[in-house]
Amino acid sequence: MTVVSTASGLLAMLQESHPTLKLHALKNLNVLVDNFWPEISTNISAIESLYEDDTFYERQLAALVASKVFYYLGELNDSLTYALGAGPLFDVSEDTEYVQTLVTKCVDEYILLSVKAAESNESEKTALDPRLVAIVERMLDKCMQDGKFQQAVGVALECRRLDKLEESIIRSENASAMLSYCLRLSQTFVSRREFRHEVLRLLVKSYQGLQQPDYLSICQCLMFLDEPADVAAILDKLLKGDKSEALLAYQIAFDLFENEYQKFLLNVRDLLPESTSASSSAPLSVTNGGLIQGTRGNGISAMTDGGPTAMDSDLTEPLLGSYAAEESADVSAPPVEERTSYTERLTKLKGILSGETPISLTLQFLYSHNRSDLLILKTIKQSVEMRNSVCHSATIYSNALMHAGTTVDTFLRENLDWLKRATNWAKFSATAGLGVIHRGHHQQGRSLMAPYLPQNGGTGGGSPYSEGGALYALGLIHANHGEGIKQFLLESLRNTSNEVIQHGACLGLGLAALGTADEEIYEDVKNVLYTDSAVAGEAAGIAMGLLMVGTASEKATEMLAYAHDTQHEKIIRGLALGIALVVYGREEEADTLIEQMTRDQDPILRYGGMYALAMAYRGTANNSAIRRLLHFAVSDVSDDVRRTAVLALGFVLCSEPEQTPRIVSLLSESYNAHVRYGAAMAVGISCAGSGSSEAISLLEPLTSDAVDFVRQGALIAMAMVLLQTTEAREPRVATFRRQLEKIINDKHEETMSKMGAILAQGILDAGGRNVAIMLQSRTGHDRVTAVVGMAVFSQFWYWYPLIYFISLSFAPTAFIGLNEELRMPKFNFVSETKPSLFGYPPSVAPPAATSAVKLPTAVLSTSNRAKVRGAKREAEAKASKATGHEAGAGSSSSKAEGLVDGDKDSTHAAKDENAMDVDGGTQKKAVVVEPSSEVLSNPARVVPAQEKFIKFREDSRYAPLKLKRAPSGFVMLRDLTPSEPVELVSTDTPLSAGGAGTAHANTNATAIAVEDNEPPPPEPFEYVP
Amino acid sequence: MEGKLADITRLFQKFKAAYDKNDTETSDNILSQLKVKLTELPSLPPLFKSSPSSIQELLLARDILEHAVVLSVKMEDQDAFERHFLQLKSYYTDTRGVIPPSGQEYPILGLNLLRLLVQNRIAEFHTELELLPPAAHDHSCIKHAVELEQSFMEGAYNRVLSARQAVPHETYVYFMDLLAKTVRDEIAGCSEKAYDSLSLVEAKKILMFASDQELLAYVLDDHPDWEIRGTRVYFQRAKKLAPCKEIPSLQLINQTLGYARELERIV
Repeated sequence: MTVVSTASGLLAMLQESHPTLKLHALKNLNVLVDNFWPEISTNISAIESLYEDDTFYERQLAALVASKVFYYLGELNDSLTYALGAGPLFDVSEDTEYVQTLVTKCVDEYILLSVKAAESNESEKTALDPRLVAIVERMLDKCMQDGKFQQAVGVALECRRLDKLEESIIRSENASAMLSYCLRLSQTFVSRREFRHEVLRLLVKSYQGLQQPDYLSICQCLMFLDEPADVAAILDKLLKGDKSEALLAYQIAFDLFENEYQKFLLNVRDLLPESTSASSSAPLSVTNGGLIQGTRGNGISAMTDGGPTAMDSDLTEPLLGSYAAEESADVSAPPVEERTSYTERLTKLKGILSGETPISLTLQFLYSHNRSDLLILKTIKQSVEMRNSVCHSATIYSNALMHAGTTVDTFLRENLDWLKRATNWAKFSATAGLGVIHRGHHQQGRSLMAPYLPQNGGTGGGSPYSEGGALYALGLIHANHGEGIKQFLLESLRNTSNEVIQHGACLGLGLAALGTADEEIYEDVKNVLYTDSAVAGEAAGIAMGLLMVGTASEKATEMLAYAHDTQHEKIIRGLALGIALVVYGREEEADTLIEQMTRDQDPILRYGGMYALAMAYRGTANNSAIRRLLHFAVSDVSDDVRRTAVLALGFVLCSEPEQTPRIVSLLSESYNAHVRYGAAMAVGISCAGSGSSEAISLLEPLTSDAVDFVRQGALIAMAMVLLQTTEAREPRVATFRRQLEKIINDKHEETMSKMGAILAQGILDAGGRNVAIMLQSRTGHDRVTAVVGMAVFSQFWYWYPLIYFISLSFAPTAFIGLNEELRMPKFNFVSETKPSLFGYPPSVAPPAATSAVKLPTAVLSTSNRAKVRGAKREAEAKASKATGHEAGAGSSSSKAEGLVDGDKDSTHAAKDENAMDVDGGTQKKAVVVEPSSEVLSNPARVVPAQEKFIKFREDSRYAPLKLKRAPSGFVMLRDLTPSEPVELVSTDTPLSAGGAGTAHANTNATAIAVEDNEPPPPEPFEYVP
Repeated sequence: MEGKLADITRLFQKFKAAYDKNDTETSDNILSQLKVKLTELPSLPPLFKSSPSSIQELLLARDILEHAVVLSVKMEDQDAFERHFLQLKSYYTDTRGVIPPSGQEYPILGLNLLRLLVQNRIAEFHTELELLPPAAHDHSCIKHAVELEQSFMEGAYNRVLSARQAVPHETYVYFMDLLAKTVRDEIAGCSEKAYDSLSLVEAKKILMFASDQELLAYVLDDHPDWEIRGTRVYFQRAKKLAPCKEIPSLQLINQTLGYARELERIV
């Protein structure tokens, strides 16, 4: 076959005068261009002039040839221009590199232009090149014809072509899968808020167009759009339907609740029709079932408070008894049909929406599954120096975090004398710590805190610090669900002029009325601010922010103005953070304000600007925000601003944790200690609970940094990253725990890092080892409370009591299956993985004799006794039990023994075996082979990484309502055999379900309060000022 | 297909008749028709579709183009020459194994070499030369061009000019005339560099002009930047040196300091 060796002949022909010859040359060149483009490129001007020659009738061909040559030359822009000129000759379906590259380029170009067009003002809008549009549309059509709908959706989203988006959804075979894909995309990739809302509206529309509307997703969308009325309508409709529709309504309500968007939830609730009070008493008892269970669970610990609470629990006692009887008989929920009236369902739904039901269920879960290790705290307590108040309060913080939401305050009760050493603000935070421990304990909260609360009318005997702390504690207990307590807090604020109490009340109010934008409260808090007292003003600033979270109201400008007026740095700081909270989640809308703040003369306001960026763009991974933050991180003159800028990256990137270590890795090697600290915290915040290997590798060197506060930050961040990560998944957990222990015990370690280590211990075992830090809900929506809590927590640099805000970001990692009565039926499912992979960490072994020598004498005796007992009981020797309360030791231990033996189900059996294996050391090691799966029973701890291993048994009586949904959180179960009697998880007897830790705590409690009656109830926990 | 071929052959006969009569206008007209017709033959480059008549077609097309090349020389049209030659070249290189070589091949290649020499495109001249087989170098036409180039490079301009008398082919005369002009340009360029000024007499001698008028006309036409004052020609204006560029020291210092500052900030 003869081939040409050069295109020069054809090129020469282009110069001929006769158009036929030119055309002939062009046609041939078009064929040969792939091989001879270098030769042609020298004569490209001839081809270009042909294209520009209006008299030449095959201009498009010339354009095509020119486009190809430019493509080979790498001049994509020119190539694209000519390809557009080539019109229909440019065939998008051709399968060549040239076409593919150009189509990509084309789409990119189009995206760029259309985004620009969408974002510019109406007047500046330039008409898009219709040829470009035509190519993109041809491309999209081709995608859809080929069944590549995901691509089409992606491109359409990026081009902001809602019409095409809709078309591709409608045309796809699996519309619902497409919609959920779209929903995910709109959350992760659409960076512009307004457009996202448009997309969501479209999604809602398409969802409703489906034959079986996916109400779960619709409601999620509507929540993003903030349209409570539609949600209410859907829920109402579902409630009127059959049983499974009602279940669905509950499930939707639970899912909405998980996003913790309080204002929205309340709106939905209020928009639902009023439930008639004439409804029978049955629904009431059912709705309250959960609550009462919660109460009951905590009645015991409440009781031990003595004083006024003792009265309360006495009152509930008979009630308790009756319910216990009913439930232990396992005959509850008799006839189902009669009860399922509409009103009853409505009441139940409202219970969920208002948070009562889920919170009490959570509380119950955390209480019954509490596995915190008191020995750790004990070790900390013993090793910190007496006089070191920082470490002293750090230990108290640590305790609070460890027991967050579990209502177990044993440690405090056992160490009242030690606790009394806390004075002034330490006392404030010690009292507030109770709020963290009892978080969500709405019914009893008020009475629990009563001994410390300011007394109405009287001057009050208590110190203002504990009173202020108690108000703060109330806020923590009712965080985000403070309808009931708001009024009380407000009155307390009005009745006092003491700045410490004002401080506590402001924080409390902010927490309780989080995001409600309540004008009345706002005015009162503002009055406090205008007194210009540094301490109260700081809290007021934060509280204003908390109240107005995400409203982007005019109040921000007002706050900014005052920040300019005042002389107090503390107030400015509080306000700066407050303003940042106000613009929460507003993205571009907040840019003006952010700009204003970041250009301010005052470094504290710039610092607030960083927070504003963090809050406005939380979890969006918005490039422009990241760029701005990085710029400030390296260019600002103030260390505070730089530190915060880096830290803020953690918030912006919290939706893409795998990115953060990469982005901050250079900053973590900065010469500037503040930047290093910021980098550590950023990783901690965004990778919280991920156990990500890169994050750990980044943090590891920082935990032994030369600067004390960097170590502090790194330790805390590490604890956040490793939260709920087991040794089996990440061996460095064990190293880290040892490191913490070493730091705490090291006499020469600096206070700052020691404090960091103590807090890290608290965070590592937070919430009885049953919570994780979740800044985003499972559906990808950001949890407002959590993010806000985390932001305020990061302020602890300036103000330690703010540490407690981290408890807002804790979310229980639980699977709680509920039947239509919103009760937990007995139900097992399988986790198809080794138990140790996601299990609880083993409890710490009691200190060996050698180390015991160093300890104070009083403790020595206990641990000795523990040792003796431990030896006697061999395998049963649970560390926690061994350190039990001295007075009740004998009886409690024997009781616990029996109970543990008797009531264990297979899960715990397996776990105990593991625990024993670890405890027992070498003796049993070889024998135990770990099973490859374990059976969990409702409710169970399911950590996020474990979710994919969860399987439901085929033959199980209950099946989850929505199979696709992640098996965690609140899951509505469908009863496959409704005729059989329902067996419920008995929640009233705290000794049954819990593991060793709970058994211990409760045995102690019961031993003291109920059975033995031997030791008098401890003194009310009250400080002598 | 057959018809087309016959058609073209007929037209070509007409062309040849006009061509032989040295009627350039008619032959040019017919030629452009022929070229259009040639595009309809699929066996011609670059498609090379084989068909029973492909050899005939190729031969015919080559013949036409060869005539076209010579015609453009006759018409003293260098661009047309180049166009036709480039189209023709494919027949010499790519179809070597398909059709027998043409007798006109070397004279035309030599012509092309000469053209490149005239246009002072020495690089392309050598490229073309390299592409020729070694045997071709012995051909008188090629040899002629090669020798000319050598003389040209050596600066033996008189030899170049005298070679006009010994052309191997009558068509070469046109290019030899042009070559004299090229040589003169070369000399002028060298003188510019070598001398500040020259007397008119010297200049006339160096540039090989017979009379002062010719020299003056040449200076006016081709080198308007030369200046004739009295009896001398001055070249200085062309010799003006570009001033040495100043080192942007201040800017560099600023930049370096800026880098240092940034570095300190970043790490």
